[in-house]
Amino acid sequence: MKKIGLMSRRGFIKVAGIACGYSVLGFNVTREAFAATLEFVGLRQQSVYNADSKIYSIRKSQDNPMIKKLYAKDGFLHEGPCGHKSHHLLHTHYNDRSAGVKALKAKGVKLAL
Amino acid sequence: MSGAKEKQATAKPAYLANLKLPATGSNVEMEGVNYKIAAPQGVDPSTLFFVQVDKDKCQACGECETHCPTGAIQEMHPDGERGVVDPAACVNCGQCLANCPFGAISEQVSYVGEIFEKLKDPDTIVVSMPAPAVRYGLGECFGMPTGTYVGGKMHAALRRLGFGLVWDNEWTADVTIMEEGTELLERVKKGDKPLPQFTSCCPGWVKFAETFYPDLNAHLSTCRSPIGMLGPLAKTYGSEQSGIKSKKMYTVSIMPCVAKKFEGLRPEMNASGSRDIDATINTRELAWMIKQAGIDFASLPEEQPDPALGMSTGAATIFGTSGGVMEAALRLAYEVLSGNTLANPDIKVVRAHEGIKTADIPVPNFGTVKVAVVSGLQNAAKLCDEVRAGKSPYHFIEVMTCPGGCVNGGGQPLEPEMLQSSLFHSTVAKINRRFNQRRVG
Ligand code: SF4
Ligand code: SF4
Repeated sequence: MKKIGLMSRRGFIKVAGIACGYSVLGFNVTREAFAATLEFVGLRQQSVYNADSKIYSIRKSQDNPMIKKLYAKDGFLHEGPCGHKSHHLLHTHYNDRSAGVKALKAKGVKLAL
Repeated sequence: MSGAKEKQATAKPAYLANLKLPATGSNVEMEGVNYKIAAPQGVDPSTLFFVQVDKDKCQACGECETHCPTGAIQEMHPDGERGVVDPAACVNCGQCLANCPFGAISEQVSYVGEIFEKLKDPDTIVVSMPAPAVRYGLGECFGMPTGTYVGGKMHAALRRLGFGLVWDNEWTADVTIMEEGTELLERVKKGDKPLPQFTSCCPGWVKFAETFYPDLNAHLSTCRSPIGMLGPLAKTYGSEQSGIKSKKMYTVSIMPCVAKKFEGLRPEMNASGSRDIDATINTRELAWMIKQAGIDFASLPEEQPDPALGMSTGAATIFGTSGGVMEAALRLAYEVLSGNTLANPDIKVVRAHEGIKTADIPVPNFGTVKVAVVSGLQNAAKLCDEVRAGKSPYHFIEVMTCPGGCVNGGGQPLEPEMLQSSLFHSTVAKINRRFNQRRVG
């Protein structure tokens, strides 16, 4: 709602018109939708923890036999985690991507950060 | 598994013969979201839009802006309609898309056309790599209750679709714990790299950090995400295990996420000697593919993935929720640091619904491990500012972009309320628009 001041006139009319549509139909969509979202996320999360404790018979990564095989003495990653081959295949580096947003800000575009 | 090759070569699923492939450049609605059929290859992903607003559907309500962590989506047109201003500012999280009440936001990259082509091709073995969270959302597209676990049915569906190797990204979630846990222990013991260590599994977060906090790059774990690990392992180790040449493999990352499409295209993701990840789709697109193939999802049996790169643990599956990577890592760190076995693997204090959660974990023979779990980048920014100021007390910080974690990712099935409201809202909006037009006219 705090954004209304920034809206163009037609944008405002649209929203006002929609609000009017709601009141005609008589239900508070926003509040119901918000409560539903919280419940919705929680339901999926709950299912994850349920599977962790009830469906998966092994619960720690280090106990997975296929992980043990990967890192075994004669295994593909026999140097162990963070070894030379791991570094080549499984690790990475990061870039500085700030130039793009600096350029945008210089053009006058406002961002959240 | 050595038989997989011949099986693939002789028997292609029957549905492929009659399938009408979506044309490149066309738009297809999948599970209530519009997708552009486009399979970029060898393109710098930082120049691409992964989501964009359909100006004609946008009602200028501003809901997307309130969910966007960066401000990338904002008024772009004289009448207040929104748009994504520039790929440089967008971290591709899709939270705008998931929260638009008018269904006005579309995805600009979809590999489904190319994947069907590869499934048809007798010389290609298509490799499946589904993320943990996909199996907690996919069932919803087939009328099952929210959050239903469909891991076994998902594997069965992937085989019926014609994937020649059903590998699973949960296996590399376990690998990630080994690598990232070891990295953390090294940082704590040797002090060669700075603390806190941030997780690096979430591609929206990683792009956000690179863009807005590049000075903290050394704090990010150097570990690739689980999918960043499964791509190269499939084409090296997996090739060894299955006897299938990596050149014949076409790896498909299946994610609850939009930003994973960006990650798959990162130029540095080529450690296997070719592209580690050939295509990326999300849960909604997989559901659509299953429907296109005419597979009756609900009646499928439960099947296991191919074990060598597919077997996984509870620690891997909880990667799908906020706090899960942390809990999985602690299940390792506790045992390594203390030398004791962790009798009860539940570490409930790090389970997070939304916002910031912090905890002190006492570890015998070591001391206290201080951790923080955060979902939502607006919240992550607060912790980044603390680290920047040198005031962060933590060893390890888990960050996920989407509130609640990947199960609520931008590529997951939209919640029914949102779908309904998008229909309801656009109907009301249409009526209002006509009404207003008549009054004006
Ligand atoms: S209609 Fe959708 S795209 Fe337009 S302002 Fe509202 S949330 Fe954003
Ligand atoms: S995808 Fe995420 S970062 Fe990009 S505009 Fe939408 S909410 Fe903002």
